[in-house]
Amino acid sequence: MEFTRELYWNVGHGIATLVPMYLLAFAAVALLVRGFIKRRATYLRAAPIDRVDQPLVRLTGALGDMLSQRQVSRVLWPGLAHAALFWGFFLLLVGTTLVFIQADFTDPLFGWVFLTGNFYKLFSVTLDLAGAAAIVALALFMIRRYLMPPEGLPVSRDYLIMHLLLLVILITGFVIEGARMAVTELGRPVAAWSPVGLLFANVLVDMGEPALRNLHRGLWWFHFFCVLGFFIIIPYTKFRHIFTTSANYFFSDRGPTGKLASLDLEDEEREQFGATQVADLSWKDIFDGDACTLCKRCQDRCPAFATGKPLSPMKVVNQIQETAFAAPDDNLIEVVSRDVLWACTTCRACQEICPAAIEHVGKIVEMRRALVLMEGEFPDEATMAAMEQTEVNGNPLGSGFAARGDWAEGLPVKDASAGEAVDIIYFVGCYGSFDKRNIKVARSFVTLCEAAGVSVGIMGKQEKCCGEPMRKMGNEYLFQTLAMEMVELLNGSGCDTIVTTCPHCFTTLNKDYRDFGLTPKVVSAPVFLQELLNQGSLPVQPHPFTCTYHDSCYLGRHNDIYTPPRALIEAAGGTIVEMDKSGSESFCCGGGGGRIMAEENIGSRINNTRVAMAVATGAPVLAASCPFCLTMFEDGTKTVETASPPVPQDIIELLAERLKTAEA
Amino acid sequence: MNILVCIKQVPDMEAKFAVAANGVWYDPTDLAWRMNEYDEYGVEQAVQLKEQVAGSDVTVLCIGTDKAKEIMKKALAMGCDRGVHVADDEVFSREPYEIAAIIAEFARDKGFDLVITGMQSQDRGSAQVGLLVAEMLDLPGISTVVGCSLDGDGLALSRELEGGVRAKVRVNLPALFTCQLGLNKPRYPTLPNIMKAKKKELITIAVADLLKVAGRQATTALFVPQKKGGGLVLEGDPAELADKLIGILKEKTTVLS
Amino acid sequence: MKCLLIGEYRQGEMLSSVYELFGFAAGIGAEAALFLVGSEAAVPAADIGVYLADAERYGEYQPQVHQRLIAAAVERYQPDLIVFSHSSYGWDMAPRVAYRLGAAQVSEVVDFVDGEPVAPVCNGKLRRRIALKTARTVLTLQAGAFSAATLPAGSPNIEAVEADEQPRIIFEGYEQAPAADVDLSKAEVIVSAGRGIGKPDNVAMIAELAKKLGGEYGASRPVVDAEWVAHERQVGTTGQTVSPKLYVACGISGAIQHLAGMKKSEFVVAVNTDKDAPIGEVADVLVVADVTQFIPVLSEKLG
Repeated sequence: MEFTRELYWNVGHGIATLVPMYLLAFAAVALLVRGFIKRRATYLRAAPIDRVDQPLVRLTGALGDMLSQRQVSRVLWPGLAHAALFWGFFLLLVGTTLVFIQADFTDPLFGWVFLTGNFYKLFSVTLDLAGAAAIVALALFMIRRYLMPPEGLPVSRDYLIMHLLLLVILITGFVIEGARMAVTELGRPVAAWSPVGLLFANVLVDMGEPALRNLHRGLWWFHFFCVLGFFIIIPYTKFRHIFTTSANYFFSDRGPTGKLASLDLEDEEREQFGATQVADLSWKDIFDGDACTLCKRCQDRCPAFATGKPLSPMKVVNQIQETAFAAPDDNLIEVVSRDVLWACTTCRACQEICPAAIEHVGKIVEMRRALVLMEGEFPDEATMAAMEQTEVNGNPLGSGFAARGDWAEGLPVKDASAGEAVDIIYFVGCYGSFDKRNIKVARSFVTLCEAAGVSVGIMGKQEKCCGEPMRKMGNEYLFQTLAMEMVELLNGSGCDTIVTTCPHCFTTLNKDYRDFGLTPKVVSAPVFLQELLNQGSLPVQPHPFTCTYHDSCYLGRHNDIYTPPRALIEAAGGTIVEMDKSGSESFCCGGGGGRIMAEENIGSRINNTRVAMAVATGAPVLAASCPFCLTMFEDGTKTVETASPPVPQDIIELLAERLKTAEA
Repeated sequence: MNILVCIKQVPDMEAKFAVAANGVWYDPTDLAWRMNEYDEYGVEQAVQLKEQVAGSDVTVLCIGTDKAKEIMKKALAMGCDRGVHVADDEVFSREPYEIAAIIAEFARDKGFDLVITGMQSQDRGSAQVGLLVAEMLDLPGISTVVGCSLDGDGLALSRELEGGVRAKVRVNLPALFTCQLGLNKPRYPTLPNIMKAKKKELITIAVADLLKVAGRQATTALFVPQKKGGGLVLEGDPAELADKLIGILKEKTTVLS
Repeated sequence: MKCLLIGEYRQGEMLSSVYELFGFAAGIGAEAALFLVGSEAAVPAADIGVYLADAERYGEYQPQVHQRLIAAAVERYQPDLIVFSHSSYGWDMAPRVAYRLGAAQVSEVVDFVDGEPVAPVCNGKLRRRIALKTARTVLTLQAGAFSAATLPAGSPNIEAVEADEQPRIIFEGYEQAPAADVDLSKAEVIVSAGRGIGKPDNVAMIAELAKKLGGEYGASRPVVDAEWVAHERQVGTTGQTVSPKLYVACGISGAIQHLAGMKKSEFVVAVNTDKDAPIGEVADVLVVADVTQFIPVLSEKLG
């Protein structure tokens, strides 16, 4: 008994079938390609950006992301359903292609038939299961979207058409198979290798052969036209993400994570800075909109959205795309609105979770750049005052610059700006230098270094703000002014290691400053201290306590530093009760993106929301590792309504309190 | 409208001030420098008027050391058309009468329709220069302006008095006024304007060419005022504390007299 | 030594700041006469010499005309010092008069030592003594720097002063700033509430104390963010930067943003249960007490 089937059974394999079929199929594919070519013209109206460097690395990465479905599966159940639908259709596509290859190519030309025997069994059972999996996934999709839609998930006629079309294609496929099997396979062993088709065959068999043949032939063509219709509408519906999301994996930002593109401010001919119109953005920024599937995962994690601010990263990405196609000359900032742009904390929660490799933050910063550099606009007067203070005194707090090193009075720090030899330069940052609360952290850090025998140098009054809040707020000019000054200062120090206690300073020095030629190694304090601990040079006496740990966005998502701070807490004797949102899903304190300088007048306050999450753990200590977070939590713990709010502490303080030398 | 706006570079008031070796002025070491806040309002008002009256031209004048050019660049970036830097290394010892005389000497034959100055400087705080310039140039002068709008050929101005009261006045050009804080919202220079400012005319005149008067007064000593309460800590019964505090307030402040 | 004291007359009344001018003159042992563009009714019933110009005729605010009137009074009285309050009238008139008389002028005088005025520099962070090189000197006195004097009983000896000068500006009248517009930056006394006041209801006791002290009430950022107090009353880098004569911080620990906004205050009283709160570092007096217990007592004692 041979395991195979007659291809083109009942529809005929002559000119009358093949010519119209292939002509129509090619026409549909041509329309699909044409649809994308038309879209490409819009992408190309925007600014160029090189996203095809290292093509092999990009290609393997993109194929890996696509085939593994790992990005979409980060949200488990909808992700698995998507993977099932993807793999279902992918296998059906492969299977159908094999049919064409054998029937219309290898068999007539070379007499080579491969859909037979064991391979046919595998082919048949795989396709049947793939189709079944796709139907189940699609059913789950439809139940989720139409019967119990999560808040914010778009429900529209487009989606219904898309879902129904796929469902019709899948079900008619099985009915066609069932009709064919009812006539040709029932009672034969081969039928067992098409289990789903067999079910349909058993239901249909009573119709009798003539009716089955008519049903089969009619549905075969109907199924075919549905597939063509599917091809044709791909570029015009969210179906396009099949291509664009996959392509977006290829075009993705290859890092360093969170580093912004530096504007060329030396170019005297340049008249536009930042993005006022779509054309001021890159083609990738428009393509991102095409790659977006409106899954709203970014929106679900956006701290601004969660606290009632008008920002939805998903909406911004799509507004850019819509404007690019519908009204490219419109003022993008008016379309998106200022309140939306200023609300972003650049926490990267959106970008981290996006299954389509969309880059949200850069777009928002580009539009902020236009507001600041082209219009001189800021979210509020407080922010503008902070900018001016930074210009005058080198810090957004407005403290006199000459007092910048005063925090270290009495501590064994050396003046690195005078060229004294030191093991590390401690880049203190503005809060560590001037804010009473964070001075305690800075002093604790020096105490730890002293105990470990590490000599510490500071730049004192020559150190200035690293420019991070200004850059994120769009003030690229002020940022670059500060960056160039600090790079010259730090490169000139002769020391090859810089340590920061502020994650914002860390990311700026370690990533952004490289564009301006910074050469020393930059290490964040938690990583540096963990190394000391591992070397056995940090004499810490653990003393048990319970705390919750807040991953700062700039240590965590921006720099993937999740375990070192936790290791330090454990070394100090701490037991961590994690908040619901932790690690890469951590919820911003509200101080990032330059928001530390601004007022927060829309919706509820982000810091209070985060403190409430800490309160929910019941832990008496809220451990942080960022001066902005600590500041936001000091405010938040005073506002939160609870009898005993957690005490915000930096992990550096927790460690310093447990130094063996302290009491001995 | 041909406008002259006068600005001064002053130390940021956040700094810790120390007396210089000469004993009559503050030590410039470790000070951060900026445009006198009152003058920022002047520059903004000049630029706003220029934007409202076609064919206007704004000259910004600053008397100071070479370092003062920093704030002139900011004024040019905010929208002034040309800069006049009166180079004077002795600027710190100049009394208002001398400063006014320098400005008046420069402005006398230039046909300015309007001269704008800050109401006072943040460091010396004399609040005299603007009105002295008005007298020297025989212009009507209005001080402490918190509102300014065009009114026919002249200006409608609002002077800030005490207790939330304002005086509304109208003046024909040419005229002079001095700016109080809050007159407008000084703009943050845009990057294209910062770039354009680099190419704008900025001429330097030696102070000797313009200073033709002698000072009528001179600082003989500069000193840090006696430290105040010095962080007195009061503890105890609320009623006693209140009595003690009232006593201290009567002694050390004028608010209970 | 003779002082011509320049009174201020607004909306039909002479301002009481003139008594500080008399206090100054008495303090340096100088003979004094009053100059006023006003009305006879506004002249204090005291035994003083008065040069009076008619405000009906010359206008309450007409600087060029007033300059000539003062010059005429100087011509007659021959004073050594012409003394104004450092106020919107004083700092406006003083330079014009000084120019007219060829006199030196010292502004915002806070002290007068051995014939030399002392004036603040850099927001009062420094002071300077000034040597005068002209026969006559014009001074403006910082409000509150010199105690008000009680004038000798009797009746004034009024001499009319006249001038023939055309106004160069048109004075169109007075205008009250919108009442809702609280401007803390110009308040002389500010009592501010921090989180330490506990609950929104307690804002009332802070406002009460501010009223008793003749000032305004303010708040720190957390209190404003909690919407206990309107934003326009926020003190700090994100709110208003203030420099009152007296700042009373109630239950404010002293975040840097707050300190930056108020540390220019002349005299700072902090009320806090925490002796080590950062506010203590800028406070002249730190009252270690619970705000809700202490403030009502203080208000009551202030009557």
